[in-house]
Amino acid sequence: MKKILQLSLGIITSVGGFLEIGSVTTAAQAGAQFGYKLLWAILLGTLCLIFLIEMSGRLAAVSKHTIVDAIRERFGFPFFFFVLLGTVLVAFMVLVAELGGIGFALQILMGIRFPWWALPVSFVVWLLMWKGTFSLIENGASLLGLVTVSFVVAALRLNPDWTSAASGLLPTLPDDDKSKYWFLAVSILGASISPYLTFFYSSGAIEDKWDRTYLPINRVIAAFGMTFGGLLSMAVLIVAALALRPKGIQVETFQQAALMMTTALPKWGFYLFALSMLFACFGAALEISLAISYFFSQGFGWNWSEDVEPSSDARFAFVYTLIIGFAAVPLMFGVDPIKITMMSMALTSATLPLAIVPFLFLMNDPIYLGKHRNGWISNTVVGVVILISFVLAVVSIPLEIMGG
Amino acid sequence: MHLVRDVLDKKLMDREDCPMGRVGGLVMHVGESGPPRVTHILVGGPTLWMRIHPALGRLSSALGQMWGPRRKEPAKIPWSRVETVGREVKLDVEGKDTGALDWEIWVARHIIEHIPGGGSEEEE
Repeated sequence: MKKILQLSLGIITSVGGFLEIGSVTTAAQAGAQFGYKLLWAILLGTLCLIFLIEMSGRLAAVSKHTIVDAIRERFGFPFFFFVLLGTVLVAFMVLVAELGGIGFALQILMGIRFPWWALPVSFVVWLLMWKGTFSLIENGASLLGLVTVSFVVAALRLNPDWTSAASGLLPTLPDDDKSKYWFLAVSILGASISPYLTFFYSSGAIEDKWDRTYLPINRVIAAFGMTFGGLLSMAVLIVAALALRPKGIQVETFQQAALMMTTALPKWGFYLFALSMLFACFGAALEISLAISYFFSQGFGWNWSEDVEPSSDARFAFVYTLIIGFAAVPLMFGVDPIKITMMSMALTSATLPLAIVPFLFLMNDPIYLGKHRNGWISNTVVGVVILISFVLAVVSIPLEIMGG
Repeated sequence: MHLVRDVLDKKLMDREDCPMGRVGGLVMHVGESGPPRVTHILVGGPTLWMRIHPALGRLSSALGQMWGPRRKEPAKIPWSRVETVGREVKLDVEGKDTGALDWEIWVARHIIEHIPGGGSEEEE
């Protein structure tokens, strides 16, 4: 019974936890500018994430190591330090973007500009980390995040042409603005394959004391949860393609993005968009803050758990206190969260090999996984998608910076 | 046992199963006669940073004496206190007595306990 409960919670976690400012902004921009053409990037990213999530749960259940534990032990401190530096810097940018997303949602709901929300929002996120438990954060944020299912409702109400939507699942070249197209493809991949999700998931498996009997459930959670999450992202893209593209609206600001829901749901669309963003970004901000603290604590062997008093894992609590405080600063000065989002998603793609390649080596290591190590399918899918994301990122980021 | 693969960077647990950090370095004694043997486990910043570059190790050591618990020497745990080496390195010591938890205690007492709801490290 406990496992069935865990299964349903796991799937809800993934559905509620998948969409955040990164997936929404990248999918909305892609739909508004290129119609269905970039659906393939969401498909590819989701496929890779299914494998990565399954792998991180398997590593935790079989070896009782989180990804970070294993990277530090297997590759030593100097290598670990560079993985830490790259991954934490990018995750920090994503945290700024998520806090900005909450501020934006509150701005369109209340009319007070987002820089004023930076401090109160960061304080509430920090307070939940300080007082909350792991399951409160995991399940509470995810249940609230279910409001993002409204994107699917909106997509269905707009009666999309399913044949042309399906043709978007195969990559095609755009007629114009090629550099923007590839930059968006990279950003979508970065938004889908967030390394912080794998750190969060493997730490959660350890906090919930998984063993080998959880391996089948782990597979189901990874496959169904991430598929549902991917479908939510696709729904955002479809809604943007049908509601914004015909009017020639491109998503440069949050207010423009909010318009996409009003075509399908004139009465509630605007509020549903704001609430979806509010809850989704809130959940993501909590998950990223936890993931960064886990990264430091596990890497350095400190005591870590979200379920004990802060003084019992003082350095763990100190890391998230500091990180959340710092993340509020750029927002207070009015740095545009949409710009930070796009850049941090592309940088996520560029830095994927840093965290994922050592992870792949670990997943093939008999010391950690014995007979449960990766087969050729997992290795090929993850290896190829990471390579594609990296190459596209290295080519398109400079083009976007020069062009934009 | 393969020292680098099986011991270095492994998590250290004290006799109460409390995490004490990771094995940062190992001290070996090379005598005139007999094989070299491991005498101590080193824990803490300067040892770690030294592994990236000696200058970083010196910097970490200098900063550590200006701020925080101000330890002059890195925490050194005699190899004789090692009970088992497996998924973790299990030690027959009280974590707090070794110096490996100085920073944890310092952060708890000087920062976390001053924030409402932070709890008290002494209660443990």
